[in-house]
Amino acid sequence: MDAQLRALAAPRRRQILELVRDRELAAGEIAAHFDVTRPAISQHLAVLREAGLVAERRSGTRRLYRADSAALAGLKQFVDRFWATGLERLKDRAEAEAAYRARPAG
Amino acid sequence: MTIAGDRIEHEMVIAAPPELVFAFFTDAELYTRWMGREATLDPRPGGVYRCVVHDTATVVGEYVVVDPPRRVEFTWGFDGGAAVPPGSSTVAVTLTPVPEGTLLRLVHTGLPHPALAGHDTGWTGYLAQLAGAAADG
Repeated sequence: MDAQLRALAAPRRRQILELVRDRELAAGEIAAHFDVTRPAISQHLAVLREAGLVAERRSGTRRLYRADSAALAGLKQFVDRFWATGLERLKDRAEAEAAYRARPAG
Repeated sequence: MTIAGDRIEHEMVIAAPPELVFAFFTDAELYTRWMGREATLDPRPGGVYRCVVHDTATVVGEYVVVDPPRRVEFTWGFDGGAAVPPGSSTVAVTLTPVPEGTLLRLVHTGLPHPALAGHDTGWTGYLAQLAGAAADG
């Protein structure tokens, strides 16, 4: 998950991810959408691939890329953890306070 | 725990009475025992709350429903966060007395879809904030 967050920390990589969310594209087709060098795009794709956010497939001499929808769903789960951890803490603290208030006087 | 669309839902039973659990959402001293390190709360409909979660994340919102000890609802967003700005999402908490104490149900709606569309600048900060918050837990 850390690798995915780091991969998403670059705006360009989020744009690439958006491009290949619903369709498979070759590296050259992706590069054509941006005013940056092809090697720069390849580097971004490598980071996204290593983070598991995009899948790479070879077709002849071409490499095709597509977003991994399961990985994106995983990010949603990460958001969910904010509440999961917070509520676990709430439960602990509320139960401790309830026990404290219910203690015998003296 | 279920995740459907933009909704996040949690349910848990807490061995404490609803009145006490409710106060953890409206009393700053109790609030900061589980959320953030500093909070100012104005728990009435339209009242603003502000919670410093950690150095780079401050949650800001308004109470929408304050109905002790059964229901509290508030808007949710990060101060300066483009992806989840203040007011953009809503958290509804329902407390039901059960023999063991309180059944807490939390529903968070209005969160951005992880497909990232339209949230170009906001995601970095938002995810970093969440990462920090989750790590705090």
